[in-house]
Amino acid sequence: SVAEIRSGFTAIKANIQARDPIRTLSILSYPHSLHKVKSSDRCCITHHLFNFYVDKVFKHCKTEDLYVNRKISSIANSFLSVRRRLQQCHEQNQCMCGQESTEKFNQILANYERLNVTSAAMKSLGELDILLNWMEKSP
Amino acid sequence: SGELHCSFPNPRNVRFESINMKNVLHWSAPEGTGDGVLYKVKYSVYGVGKWIRKTECRNINRTWCDLSNETSDYEEQYYASIKACLNGMCSDWMETTRFNPLTDTKIDPPVVSVSSTEKSISIILTAPEKWKRSPEEESVSLVQVYPGLQYNVSVLNKKTKKRWFFSISNNTLVVPWLEPGTAYCVSAQIHVTTPLLYSGFSKEYCIATLKDKTA
Repeated sequence: SVAEIRSGFTAIKANIQARDPIRTLSILSYPHSLHKVKSSDRCCITHHLFNFYVDKVFKHCKTEDLYVNRKISSIANSFLSVRRRLQQCHEQNQCMCGQESTEKFNQILANYERLNVTSAAMKSLGELDILLNWMEKSP
Repeated sequence: SGELHCSFPNPRNVRFESINMKNVLHWSAPEGTGDGVLYKVKYSVYGVGKWIRKTECRNINRTWCDLSNETSDYEEQYYASIKACLNGMCSDWMETTRFNPLTDTKIDPPVVSVSSTEKSISIILTAPEKWKRSPEEESVSLVQVYPGLQYNVSVLNKKTKKRWFFSISNNTLVVPWLEPGTAYCVSAQIHVTTPLLYSGFSKEYCIATLKDKTA
């Protein structure tokens, strides 16, 4: 569940963010903040982002710290279960993707591709609180 | 070139201390340095990265700097950095960890007001307000900031020492079927479910139920 993701991330947040020295780039926040997304686009973007984290982030986030690695894999497992539920919404056409959400997600991918894979993955992982704050914010 | 030579010891323990989103940067003086050390402060918005000098905290000798105004957008994250200088020598810039006002602030307990009848007490809880620039600025309750804000309420019968706990989402609670002419003490705490945040418990507010007129 999202609460498990939140508590797992809180336990390793300082460690993960300390591994990201780049202040001038954010994967999720710039140039357009997630918080500016229309509520009608929320489901689609959430679905895209969960695929993004499962497919492009977690697998590239190995560290030398076993505790941190265990927390990352438990977060990844929680993402997989939430993604499954989002997948059902998508298949039942309750998760429509408009032009704005597609553009928004393409911007996130562009930010991601500006860095090498490991740096981009670690930065994305360090921004999980941005994703969770946005998801839990009332529409 | 007028560049200051940097071999001065670094400020220590640089961090944000935040209560109700009043975000104040704190640090400890460099080890082994006495009086006369002056500090400079800069901050940046994560993702933008451009460092901005905080002019009101330029060449100060205290070890804190209020950055509430600069970090008031709680949908952003921030870094701040401190440099210490003395007699033309200065330290490195020492940075905070990434500061997220929404998850990293502490919350004050709610204000509790109580009233009573013969057999019940009514409790009204008021959550603290988010920090604001000036008294004239519109108040924003933390209830508006945290959709998942709830209250844990403790009610103690002073005579029997029996205690009840309630967890409520709205800010009013009526506790029925109480003993007339008895003192009850109420204390409350804020609990935010996401992100997970707890305030401390408020001090106890005591009130007596009215005496039974028929007795």
